[in-house]
Amino acid sequence: MFSSLMLVSLLVLTLPIMSSIFNTYKNSTFPHHVKNTISYAFITSLIPTMMFIHSGQETIISNWHWMTMQTLKLSLSFKLDYFSMIFVPVALFVTWSIMEFSLWYMHSDPYITRFFKYLLTFLITMMILVTANNLFQLFIGWEGVGIMSFLLIGWWYGRTDANTAALQAILYNRIGDIGFIMAMAWFLFNTNTWDLQQIFMLNPNLTNLPLLGLLLAATGKSAQFGLHPWLPSAMEGPTPVSALLHSSTMVVAGVFLLIRFHPLMENNKTIQSLTLCLGAITTLFTAICALTQNDIKKIIAFSTSSQLGLMIVTIGINQPYLAFLHICTHAFFKAMLFMCSGSIIHSLNDEQDIRKMGGLFNAMPFTTTSLIIGSLALTGIPFLTGFYSKDLIIETANTSYTNAWALLMTLIATSLTAVYSTRIIFFALLGQPRFLPLTSINENNPFLINSIKRLLIGSIFAGFFISNNIYPTTVPEMTMPTYMKLTALAVTILGFTLALELSLMTHNLKLEHSTSVFKFSNLLGYYPTIMHRLPPLANLSMSQKSASLLLDSIWLENILPKSISQFQMKTSILISTQKGQIKLYFLSFLITLTLSMLLFNLHE
Amino acid sequence: MSLVHINIFLAFTVSLVGLLMYRSHLMSSLLCLEGMMLSLFVMATMTVLNTHFTLASMMPIILLVFAACEAALGLSLLVMVSNTYGVDHVQNLNLLQC
Repeated sequence: MFSSLMLVSLLVLTLPIMSSIFNTYKNSTFPHHVKNTISYAFITSLIPTMMFIHSGQETIISNWHWMTMQTLKLSLSFKLDYFSMIFVPVALFVTWSIMEFSLWYMHSDPYITRFFKYLLTFLITMMILVTANNLFQLFIGWEGVGIMSFLLIGWWYGRTDANTAALQAILYNRIGDIGFIMAMAWFLFNTNTWDLQQIFMLNPNLTNLPLLGLLLAATGKSAQFGLHPWLPSAMEGPTPVSALLHSSTMVVAGVFLLIRFHPLMENNKTIQSLTLCLGAITTLFTAICALTQNDIKKIIAFSTSSQLGLMIVTIGINQPYLAFLHICTHAFFKAMLFMCSGSIIHSLNDEQDIRKMGGLFNAMPFTTTSLIIGSLALTGIPFLTGFYSKDLIIETANTSYTNAWALLMTLIATSLTAVYSTRIIFFALLGQPRFLPLTSINENNPFLINSIKRLLIGSIFAGFFISNNIYPTTVPEMTMPTYMKLTALAVTILGFTLALELSLMTHNLKLEHSTSVFKFSNLLGYYPTIMHRLPPLANLSMSQKSASLLLDSIWLENILPKSISQFQMKTSILISTQKGQIKLYFLSFLITLTLSMLLFNLHE
Repeated sequence: MSLVHINIFLAFTVSLVGLLMYRSHLMSSLLCLEGMMLSLFVMATMTVLNTHFTLASMMPIILLVFAACEAALGLSLLVMVSNTYGVDHVQNLNLLQC
């Protein structure tokens, strides 16, 4: 019953794709079909989830034996455990809301049916990823979400920036895939399998190499520091794409992979320290970059990147279940933040610069409400959604035996979260309007309002709901000094106060020439500027020189022939005293010869 | 010695003097070098044929081969000079003066 219902809900998702060969694809009701399909799949998947919560019994469904290569058996197997059973309904709920939102947002797009087909294909590959029991199936899902991300970021392919951003996403993800394949190869060699059960049972000892590979894969897919520039550039895609892929589902795939391998990671202290430091650097760096951006979607993208860094930090302190909880709660409010920004953008006639927004507090009350609640949930205000995961993470990090520098970075990034959230609210909502007088502000569409309303209720209640209904896994720290318990709240309130004070104080002052700190933050720490120009130039020029110059001009020309001739000329100029009077020399030779002939009678 | 030998010997001497005393063209020196080589060849061949010293009849051939090589070398030097100056006047070869 349990397994068949789960398989039904996954299968239902594939129906609209398969129906694209029939006539329903050409209709204008295809998007509605897709949205309804996802809502049915969501409701169907709730039943197995509730059964799972009630009984705590995990399931593995191994269906179809694909092939056996000597000792390796590959089959289609679904792992329905704690992580996938809770993630699937959450992802389906968020996707349902986003589909409904994109019915409003992409209404005037002529290829809206293709858009929905792409979104649905993405969702299917994401489901394959989270329910995979062996690494091969996971890799299928992994690559699938990468491809769909490419197609969706470059949706408006007439725009150069969109094409560049899509290509950038593919390239950075590919670098992470190298790590993934290295891990797969190691597991194949050392544990003879790609099945997760066998890997965990064998519990190999020296897991540094595969876990490094998996960490690299997570760095690529989840935009950690070093492979992060693709995420802000991916905002070139439409807002529903940003809401679905680059906030809730695709970018958490890397974190999900590390969470899946937590039995191996909890034995390897080195990898845990690496993960912790990487996450801390990411969360602080992207929060600094978010402070001075002017595009509303880019600020939210950097916010996503910062929260992803926080999830990686949580894995680094050996709390995979808390990281997973943060994935689920983060999906709600981040998707809602993106949808609110989409509502603002559309209402102001495609204006994305926050310096040209303002005064929307009275003009768009519903969007204002949801934006403020989303930001509060993001910063972890007590008893909203974000609190249940974020506050627990900060508390656990404070009370665990961990790297103090990483902890400090995380706390600073938490306060910066409040700062840039205040910046969004201040610039977009408060004050006097800075947009053009002829406005088309309208948020009356039921699609828009219903979808945001659903996620709004999720943002407020989902944290409470989920954390009270899941079974206990790792025990959180129960007792700690009062100041430690209040640390997260204190830095957040500090961030809010500071940001509001600064904004109000400098609101009417003239902007002076940019300081170097501002430029550092605005140009993303100069990372894209350096890394997109210097290494490619160095590589290409080195390869050109080695291909054309090395063999031909150096080995064949310069080493022996030219060097010998240069050497001879230099030394002969150095040590000779001649004047080059050849005729004199020849004449003296002749006279000497003649004289010797005459004097010594040699011919006799 | 016989008249033929004196004739060839005189040819050799004339070429030698022409090699060592010339006005300005390097080419004339090379031509006289070839003349010297030719007279030596004829002298050697005649001597070998007259004394029926069959085993030594490879000496003129080998002399010819080496003379060809040195002629090529001389010509390449001439071409180098001609590339730089356009003419092969010997007063141009003054790069090594201190």
